[in-house]
Amino acid sequence: MAIQIGYFPGCSLHSSAKEYNDSIKASFGDLGIELKEIPDWNCCGATAAHSLNEALALALPARNLAMAEQEGLSLFAPCSACYHRFLLTNRKLCASEELLLEVNELIAPLDYKGSTEVKNILDILVEDVGVKKIKESVKRPLKGLRLVSYYGCLLTRVPHGQASDDQENPVYMDMVVEALGAEPVPWPSKMDCCGASLNITEEAIVCRLSSHILDNAQAVTAGAVVTSCTLCQMNLDLMQSGTKPEYNHPANLPVFYISELLALALGHDFPQGHWKKHFVDPRGVLEKLGLT
Amino acid sequence: MKPSERIQVSDGSVIDPGFTQKVIQLTGEEVMTCFQCLKCTNGCPLAPEMDVPPNKAIRYVQLGMRDAALAADSIWICATCYTCSVRCPNDIDIAHVMDTLRRLAYQSQGDDTPKAHIVHFHELFLDSLKQYGRVNETKLLARYELKEGRFLKDAKLGMKMFFMGKMSIFPEKVQNKEQIKKIFDRASKRKG
Ligand code: SF4
Ligand code: SF4
Repeated sequence: MAIQIGYFPGCSLHSSAKEYNDSIKASFGDLGIELKEIPDWNCCGATAAHSLNEALALALPARNLAMAEQEGLSLFAPCSACYHRFLLTNRKLCASEELLLEVNELIAPLDYKGSTEVKNILDILVEDVGVKKIKESVKRPLKGLRLVSYYGCLLTRVPHGQASDDQENPVYMDMVVEALGAEPVPWPSKMDCCGASLNITEEAIVCRLSSHILDNAQAVTAGAVVTSCTLCQMNLDLMQSGTKPEYNHPANLPVFYISELLALALGHDFPQGHWKKHFVDPRGVLEKLGLT
Repeated sequence: MKPSERIQVSDGSVIDPGFTQKVIQLTGEEVMTCFQCLKCTNGCPLAPEMDVPPNKAIRYVQLGMRDAALAADSIWICATCYTCSVRCPNDIDIAHVMDTLRRLAYQSQGDDTPKAHIVHFHELFLDSLKQYGRVNETKLLARYELKEGRFLKDAKLGMKMFFMGKMSIFPEKVQNKEQIKKIFDRASKRKG
């Protein structure tokens, strides 16, 4: 029987990261996952809310957690930044009845009880589905593709407590990469910060950080980068786009979402327009491997 | 000295033990246990750009140096990457402290910081969220560029993204906009 999971796409998966949304929807059904979108979900508040107003930073995620609870669903947030906001909010609300009461006053008439489980994409692929099942479902192994797994900051850095994967040396994405038939390449930047949303306000910082990550991917002769975070994907891809003089990193490495590679390996082909959503067009790399 | 007593030091700055207590109370973090090992700052990806790196920010909090802590540019450029928080040997969630300093600074001085553009970006983001319940990236970017007087600087990028199908002009909305508005109204009545 299919596992039902509450799906919180978040704002970016409906705009700049549409290809993440499309590839999750294309591939998850094959693995026995039924995604049920959280009805009328709202933005998690992101950096803006936790920077300016703590009450909002708790209440905005709490509204979604409460709606997922009403439907008896867990909450899967593909974007690492959304995921982290949900995880931290949930932990805080579950740790203090007083706080839960206060936040429930903010989201009334909704009334969150604290029972929603928050998941990221690797939790689902490794813990709910399992690499064995992924391996068995692969129709088109990604043989010959040397991939560096780029976890970024927010997937596993959970203060005061353990994340599902290791906090300093996570391995879940490499396990999935291996199950898809590709080659996970060890490298030193798997958890380096790309600069995240500073790309709009502090461009120079993001150029410095993201370029360093691409340098390291090049140094280990990776064929492509794979990630699960919308900000990570955007920054590494943008740095190589040539759309501005500063964005001229020569690596020319496609930056995939893990779900795009999953869908490919499971035998799905994307419509023509899909790969155009990447600044570094991955089709060259895929053609060489006979994957398109 | 009573814990609430403020003292003025020779450079004119004020030492306010009440500030230390306030940050401890707001964060629940045991900032007094910091022994300046510098592990946070050594791993901080933004340290090269910071005037007050995380270890120093914690020190300012310990010493009640409110003005120095809240005037720091670094509280605005901290990327909330949590590297410091997971590495601190005393388990201080430093990212949470930085975040709290940011909010205290915003409450007391608004956008009066050399990093005002970052404050503006956050404000516009929340504006959009309040209006629609979701954030339209295209509209947000356009409004930000206009506000900061750099419209057209990123036009080439914006157009490219539009043609790549990465940007949509029509904002998505939640159905229950009334509820989102209520959350904002209630949250704004509370302090930060
Ligand atoms: S890592 Fe912790 S103990 Fe060490 S300087 Fe930073 S805050 Fe202090
Ligand atoms: S959370 Fe902020 S202070 Fe801590 S390591 Fe990251 S950028 Fe530095």
